[in-house]
Order: sequence, then structure tokens, then C-alpha cells
Amino acid sequence: MISFIAQRIAKAIIVLLALVVLNFFLIRMAPGDPAVVMAGEAGAGDQLFIAQLREKFGLDQPLPVQLFLYVKGILSLDLGFSFRQQMPVSKLILDRLPATLLLTGTAFAISLAFGILFGALAARFAGTWADTAITIAALIFYATPLFWVALMAILLFSVTMDWLPSFGYETVGAGYTGLPHVLDVAAHLILPATTIGLFFMATYARMTRASMLEVNRLDFVKTARAKGLSDTVIQRRHVLRNALLPVVTLAGLQAGTLVGGAVLTETVFAWPGIGRLMYEALLQRDYNLLLGVFVVCSAMVLAFNLITDLVYRSVDPRIEFAS
Amino acid sequence: MKQASRVLLRNPGGMIGIAILVIAVAVALFGPLLFPTSPWRMVQRPFLPPFTLSGFPLGTDALGRDVMAGIIYGARVSLLVGLISTLASLAVGIPLGATAGYFGGKVDDALMRFTEFFQTVPSFALAIVLVAIMQPSIVSIVAAIAIVSWPPVARLVRGEVLSLRTREYVQAAVVTGQTNWWIIWREILPNALSPVIVLASLMVATAILLESSLSFLGLGDPNLMSWGYMVGAGRTVIRQAWWITVFPGIAILVSVLALNLIGEGLNDALNPRLAKGGR
Amino acid sequence: MSKRKILMSLATMCMLSTAAMAQGPKAGGVVNAVIQPEPPSLMIGLVQNGPTQMVAGNIYEGLLRYSPKLDPLPGLAESWSVSEDGKVYTFKLLKGVTWHDGKPFTSADVLFSIEFLKQTHARARGNLVQLDKVEAPDESTVVFTLKQPFGPFIGIFEVGSLPMIPKHIYEGTDFKTNPANNTPVGTGPFMFKEWQKGSFIRLVKNPNYHVKGKPNIDEIYWHVIPDAAARSVAYETGKVDVLPGGSVENFDVPRLSKLKNTCVTGAGWEFFSPHSWLWLNNRSGPTANKKFRQALMFAIDRNMAKDVVWNGLGKVATGPSGSSIKYYTSAVPKYDYDPAKAKALLKEAGYNGEKVRMLPLPYGETWQRWAEMVRQNLQDVGINVEMIATDVPGWNQKVSEWDYDIAFTYLYQYGDPALGVGRNYVSSQIAKGSPFNNVEGYSNPEIDRLFADGAVAFPDSAREEIYAKAQKILVEDVPVAWMLELQFPTITRCSVKNLITTGIGVNDGFRDAWIEK
Repeated sequence: MISFIAQRIAKAIIVLLALVVLNFFLIRMAPGDPAVVMAGEAGAGDQLFIAQLREKFGLDQPLPVQLFLYVKGILSLDLGFSFRQQMPVSKLILDRLPATLLLTGTAFAISLAFGILFGALAARFAGTWADTAITIAALIFYATPLFWVALMAILLFSVTMDWLPSFGYETVGAGYTGLPHVLDVAAHLILPATTIGLFFMATYARMTRASMLEVNRLDFVKTARAKGLSDTVIQRRHVLRNALLPVVTLAGLQAGTLVGGAVLTETVFAWPGIGRLMYEALLQRDYNLLLGVFVVCSAMVLAFNLITDLVYRSVDPRIEFAS
Repeated sequence: MKQASRVLLRNPGGMIGIAILVIAVAVALFGPLLFPTSPWRMVQRPFLPPFTLSGFPLGTDALGRDVMAGIIYGARVSLLVGLISTLASLAVGIPLGATAGYFGGKVDDALMRFTEFFQTVPSFALAIVLVAIMQPSIVSIVAAIAIVSWPPVARLVRGEVLSLRTREYVQAAVVTGQTNWWIIWREILPNALSPVIVLASLMVATAILLESSLSFLGLGDPNLMSWGYMVGAGRTVIRQAWWITVFPGIAILVSVLALNLIGEGLNDALNPRLAKGGR
Repeated sequence: MSKRKILMSLATMCMLSTAAMAQGPKAGGVVNAVIQPEPPSLMIGLVQNGPTQMVAGNIYEGLLRYSPKLDPLPGLAESWSVSEDGKVYTFKLLKGVTWHDGKPFTSADVLFSIEFLKQTHARARGNLVQLDKVEAPDESTVVFTLKQPFGPFIGIFEVGSLPMIPKHIYEGTDFKTNPANNTPVGTGPFMFKEWQKGSFIRLVKNPNYHVKGKPNIDEIYWHVIPDAAARSVAYETGKVDVLPGGSVENFDVPRLSKLKNTCVTGAGWEFFSPHSWLWLNNRSGPTANKKFRQALMFAIDRNMAKDVVWNGLGKVATGPSGSSIKYYTSAVPKYDYDPAKAKALLKEAGYNGEKVRMLPLPYGETWQRWAEMVRQNLQDVGINVEMIATDVPGWNQKVSEWDYDIAFTYLYQYGDPALGVGRNYVSSQIAKGSPFNNVEGYSNPEIDRLFADGAVAFPDSAREEIYAKAQKILVEDVPVAWMLELQFPTITRCSVKNLITTGIGVNDGFRDAWIEK
């Protein structure tokens, strides 16, 4: 077991480093560089200005040297320095990470909860019009462009009904602490989290339905029915728990993408998260920041993959352990 | 296959999906013949509301361009983007997955590491970076979507091939001395295809959504009127001219929904046990 | 006096004083504004981005401010004089001014700032090219001596062009990595308090500001909201009170203007005077031919663009100078919308359908729509246009490397042709790597001479003559296709009063603003 974990971690680190090297070159292939961007925003610039910027950003050194310095930094957990924002990349990321995790975590919980609920209902009434109706309803949320739902939600709940705030993480300048602060953030969280949550619900609904139908056919369920147990008890105690295994596996694998998956929503709702940070870093060609975000996101995916794998293997004894 | 299609035809969701898709394809193919004016031309006053002027049932946009024409020409672009990027993903994923699943061992390990590599970077983020590198155009968008979408195909095909490899008819082919590639091509892949077809229909849908998201962020191809582009262009005037975003949004919704329903239907048809329900 | 009369006069006095109070500035209040995009830094000496100037212009100050007519007003200098020959400028500084950290502001800071900015500020470098020496005979006097008379010199002291930098914080340090860059210290009406990256910047009132009674406002919050539609919503739902120019798409302006308690103004951009045009590659492709370029000017319907894309805001440009810039003349060849003439000129130019690459400005939907409109104008006269999509860095790259045929742009003009206009037309400014110089590659020795002479001619009437000639020649040659003098409307609650009083508007306007309760 330990050697298995150690092996996987070692492999993950290699993958991560390979990713760093690849993305390092990939990002630099985009036209323009941070110096040109800064000069552009200044509305004026001359050769000296741009040369100074290039020097400040460390761009005047040969590429292999830049790569070497960067990888050296990664190995000591230093993600580099964002010259544009004049702050270490790790600080920039850590400042925004909690907001993203809160958003995607909540969305994840919503999508999982409603997905399983609807999936179970659809399986219960499988083959009937109710089944089709539920499936279509879930799919409608999946099929509508996320940003469109976000804009409609803002129009309805913020502008027309004025129930919920339309942007940001909290009411700026109000200085809430304690419970009022939690409630304030919660109010800001509802629209963006629900928007994303409804979108991903369909995947879990579909999977739960398929899985439950599969389990329902198995022998032990027939036995339980023959014994005379009520249907509700059967579904809840026997079927659901077993059916959820693949759903949970999928959830575990998707959990890794929590960090990088909210660019659109964060942009429309002005949520101060990592997704937006990454997108802006791309547009500003802030290489270190962009790479840093990629590294963090990839590390999370790899970590969650490993955890999910371990949980899965320990829960389902049918799976072989040795690879 | 025949039995499968019979099941599919009885599935209400799948039928609805197929009907919608047929309409969409018809619009894409024949629409431009009925609406010969380019959707880029400014033909009326800006912000004409829908249903007010005959000839412009869906109104006009910020520059006075016909929204109806945009939807019709956009059908072509959106469906093509979805189709081609999916085909490209399949072209990469199927051979990779089949090779990994069939040969196993070191080959499998290496290919799966390679696949996992692509899956660790968040796909939307990678797509944005790729489009930014190649600068937005229809080619770069299709390429970016294809590049981020192939890993699930490879994984799926690998899983199927792994389980099929041990079947008797495959063993028989090995014993009779057929070459590996012949076995993969003739014996294994045709039987592995059903889940791939399901996945493909979902991938076309996802590709259409991805393209519209990229256009929303301003990374679309400015020479091609696509539905995603229209929604992106109209979102800043969504308050005074809701129709510019709503109608293309509905078009995207309906197409993606149709493809998903078809996928669901195919899934039920090709896995008959599930369709009948648990009782 | 009878009791009744006393009561009456008391009542009248109360009413009159209330009325007087109702008209005068009220102290107190918090203003919520938006800033887009988020500035990379607020240290205005090192970073001159638009958003940086907008926020930091209220933290730092320059020696002078400028009225909407671009006349100089006292800033940190309370008075100034120019010598007879136009070469010596003497500034008398205000006394008793302190930096936000309490240290006194003196002429030594001015001298230091000049040295600092020469190293870090590209535009200041250009503006100070005629400077021979600068001296400080005493703590509150600064004397600039020029090599030659330079008419525009009085116009370069705006806070974004020549901000005053605290010597005691920056002397002897590496400017770019000085930790104080994250907590900017100026002399201005507002002090930097807090910056939550991605969310907001908070400025608070400077209690020791050198203008007594100002500022009236207690705090300013600059919110970072990346989506234009979301910014409109923020204003509508009352979360934001000020939308500076360019924060919302033009298509939204008419609707927002009709909201309750909303005032819109196009003022506050007179100093920058944004001028839009199309770079036309003078070096290669169909655009290298003068007749082709003239055809473009006739083919484009600029009035329709103004009405449809810019909601009627702005003016059609007649040439290289904006109408509010010094020495502007309209006595130049005219290019009215005339597709027939355009077609004829195309034929004369020998254009045979080659592809022409057009680069829109990737700054939002307004520019995208405008590019589409111009594309249609050009296609209507038979030009084969291909639109190239880029993001912002890609655009910067392509333009700086001259990889385009037609490219949209707009630049600021800074009040005087020697400061903001010449750089786009003189040969010395032809250099790869910048999107702001003579990108089109136009080279005309007579224009070079005129601009060189115009900068140092003396007196004003001599400059006027020179620039009139230059404008005529340029409009005839069409090195670039001038489009519109842009207007970026600022939308505020009517209860935010007196915000725009200078030529740079919101950038230093919070000093005099107040909130009516």
C-alpha cells in the first residue's frame, strides 16, 4: 500500500514537472509579451521603456536560463514573482484560492445533491414519461450556455427583484464580522454557485440513474424483495449505497477540476477567484502567474485522482490492488 | 444493430432529439439558399424588436443586421465546429486508446501517462491558452477544442478494448495468426464502438458550448457568424435588446439538448438492459 | 422690535442659512466607483496605465492642473512665470504642503521627481527633451531652463504626465523594487488605504490636505468588475455611483442616462482628447498607395459610425488634430462619405482585389461592431477585407511589428500638437516595437521640418502658422485614416456634485467633488 502511494506520488511529480516545462514554452508561444502589454496600457512607450520592462520581467535572459530558474523555484515550492503586479505568485494565488474553493465547492455540493436526487427519481420511474421529463429538465440546464444563465439570473434576481447582490464576494465597506459576514458572503454566493451547480447536475443525474438501474437488477436486490422488504427501504438501504460508488468516483475525479473550472462564472459575477486570475494573467501575458495557476490546478487534479483511486480501491474489494 | 435502432426509435427522448437535429441540419444546409443575404450586412435600423416588421421576424442587432439570418448561417458554423472538432478528437483518441488497451504493459502505461498529462490541466483553461497562442480563428478554435477533448475518448476506448481483448473470438483470431492491427480493426473496434458513439454525440454538444464560451470571452473568429458569437455580441445590450442573445441562446440550447437526447437514446438502445428499467 | 418681527426675522435667517447650506458643498460621504481594468500598480511614476492614472491621480499631484479649456491652474505650484524669451520657467511652490506620511514637500522633491521620471516615464522623457537644467534656488522655488523656447512646456505638468515623487522614500533605492510601491505616498487629497486585488481599492480622505476644507468626500471605493454588463447592473442596483468614461459599452449609455438621479457628461477628457484612426501600412500592400488611402477616407461612413456605434457621441475627425487641441484648423481637404469617388480612386490606384487585412481593437463590443461596420463600407466599394482577430497582447505585437494593413487605434493628444500629434507622423519616430509612434511608416521631410520647427517656434502665432501648414499636408497625404474624436461619457448619480472640473476629469476630480444628501 505504502509503496503504491509512494509510486503514484513520484509519478505525479514527474507529470507535474513535465507539465511545467511544456506550459512554460506553450505560454511563450502566444504573441506579445508582458512588456508590450504594459506599454500598451500606458498609452505611450519608447524603446527604453520597453527594454526596461523586459529587463524587470526577466525576459532578456535566454530561454533555457529562464526555464532553469523557474523549475529550480518550483522544486523549493516558490512559484516565482509576478513582475506586473509586483507580488509573489504564491501570495496572489493563495489570496484568491479560498474564494474559488468556496464557489466551486458549494456548486459541487449542489450539483451532487440535486444530481443524485433527480437521478434516483428518474431511475425509480424509469421508462415512463416522468423519467424522460426529469432527464430533459436536467439536460436543459446542461445545454444552456453558462454565461447566459448567469446573465439571466442576475437580471431576474438582482435587477428585477433585488433579492440578491449581483457582483463581488461581499458588500465592500460594510465591515461585517462574524455571523453577518457569513450571511453577506452567502448572499453573494447563491447566484454564482447555483448557476454552476445546475449546469453539472445533469452528469450526476445521468450517472446515478444508470447506476441505480444496474444495481436494481442484481441478485441481492431480488432477494431483498423476495424477503418482503418495502421498496423504499430497498432503494435507500441497498440500492442507493451500492449505486453511488461510481458516482462518487466520478465526483472524486471531478473534484480535482474545482480550482480551474469557474472562469466564465467568476468573470460575469466579478467573483475574485483563481479562474479570473488565470484568464487575466493570460491576457496580460503574465507568464509566471499563469504558470503558477496551472501548476496549482494540475497539482490539485493529481492529488484528487490519487485520493479517489485509494478510496475506490479500499471500498470495492473486487478491484485488484497491484498494478 | 437492427434491434438497437428499433429500441432507439421507441425512445421518446431520442426521437425528439433526432427530429430536432434533422431540422438543424436542414437549416444549415438549405437555409442560406432561402436567405441569400449575408448575415453581416446591415439591412434595417438597429435594435428592431422581433415580430414587428415582416421579413425580420427575429429583429435586428446593434448594427441593424438580421438576427434570423444570423441564426441560419450560424447553424452551419456551430454544427460544423462541433462535428469537425469531435471527429478530430476521435481521430486521436480512438487509435491511442485502442493501442493502449490492446498491447497493455509498458505501451499502455506510457500512453495513459500521456493521456493523464492532458487531463490534469483544466480543459477550458487549456483551450483558452491554445486559442490565445494561435490567435482566434475557426481553425484555432476547432484545434483547441479537439486537443482538450480527446482524453476521455482514449480512456473509454482503452477500457472497452481491454475487456474485449479476452473474448473468445479475439483469441481465435490470434490463434489463426491474424496480425494485431487486423484484429484491432476488424474484431475489436466494431464491438467497442457503441459507447464511443454515445460519447461522440455528447462531445459535439460540448464542442458547441465550448465554442460559444470562447466567443463570449472575445476569442471567437470574427469572420464567421456563429451562435456563440451572436450571444457574446449581444450580451452588452441584453437589457434593451434581449432578442439578440435569447434567440441564438435558444438555438444553442436546442441543438445541444437534441444531441444529448440522442446520446441518451443511443445509450439506452445499445445497453438494452438499462432501458427496460429495474423491475 | 415686536416679538413677531423678531421671530419672523429669525425664521427668515434660518431659512436663508438652510438655503445657503443646501447650495454649498457638504462634507462627508462615501463614493463607489468602478475601475476597469484593474491597474497593475498605483505607483504613478513607474506605471502610466490609464486605470493607474485614474485612481492615483487623486493620490499624487503635479505642479499644475488644467481647466477644461486647457489653461493652467495652480496645483502644487501656486504661481509661475515665463521669461520674455520663453526659455525660463519659474514656479513658486505652495508652502506647508506635506506628504501623506507627514514629511514636508519641497523643491528638492521636484528636482528628484524630474530625475526619477526621466528614467521611468517614457512620455515625460519626451516632454523634457528641451530641458537644459532645473534648479531650486530655495525650498519653494523651482526654475526650469530650456535649450530653446518650447511652447507646450507649460502643458506637461499634469499629474499623470509629471507626478511629484517623494524623494525621501525613493532616493538611493532601486525604484522598481522599492517596497513602498505597494503603498503609494503622494501629496494629494486622498490617501491610499487598502487594496484587495481582484475586488477593490480604497482611498481615504487626507486630513492634512493643503487646500482647506477639501476634500469633502471621506472615502472612495474603486470596484473591480471585469464584465461590462455587470458594471451596468452594479450602477442600476445602486452599488456603484460613478461610472467613469469607458466603463460601460456605448450601447448602454442611453438606457442608463434615463435612470433616476443620473447625470451624464462628456466632459473631463479635454486634456487627453482621444482621437481614433486607422493605421494604414504605408510600407507595403495596397495601402502603400496614396490614392488607395484617399479612397478609404471616402469609402468609410464616419457619421453613421458616430450615430450607430458611438450613440451620437463625439465628432467626425477632420485631420490629425482634435478640435480642442491647440492650433487646430479645419481649413484642410475634406473627405465626406462618397462611395462613388472611392471607387474611382481605387481604379486610379490600380487596386485589383488583393486581400486587405484589418485589425480591430480588441477592447470590447463597441470596437468590434465598428470594425464590422467599416468592413462593410470597404466591401461595398469592392475592397477584399479579411478581419484578423487578436487579443490585446497579440494586437500590440502585430502593430508594433508592422504586421497589418489596416489597424484600428486611438491615442491621446495631451493638448498640444508637439506633445501628442507629432509622434505619429515624423520620421524619427519610425521604430519597430512600439504601437504609439509612427507605426504607419510615413516619411515626409517637410512634415519632419514643420513639426521640429513648430515645437520650438516663438511666439504662439508662429506656431499656429506652422501647424496649419502641417495639417493641410497631412490631410492631403492621408498617412492614416482619421475617424472620430471620441467621447467617453462619465455617468454619475446627480447627487455626486462637482466631480468633473478639470481637463482630466475623474483623474483628479475627487478633490472638489461633494455628495448632496
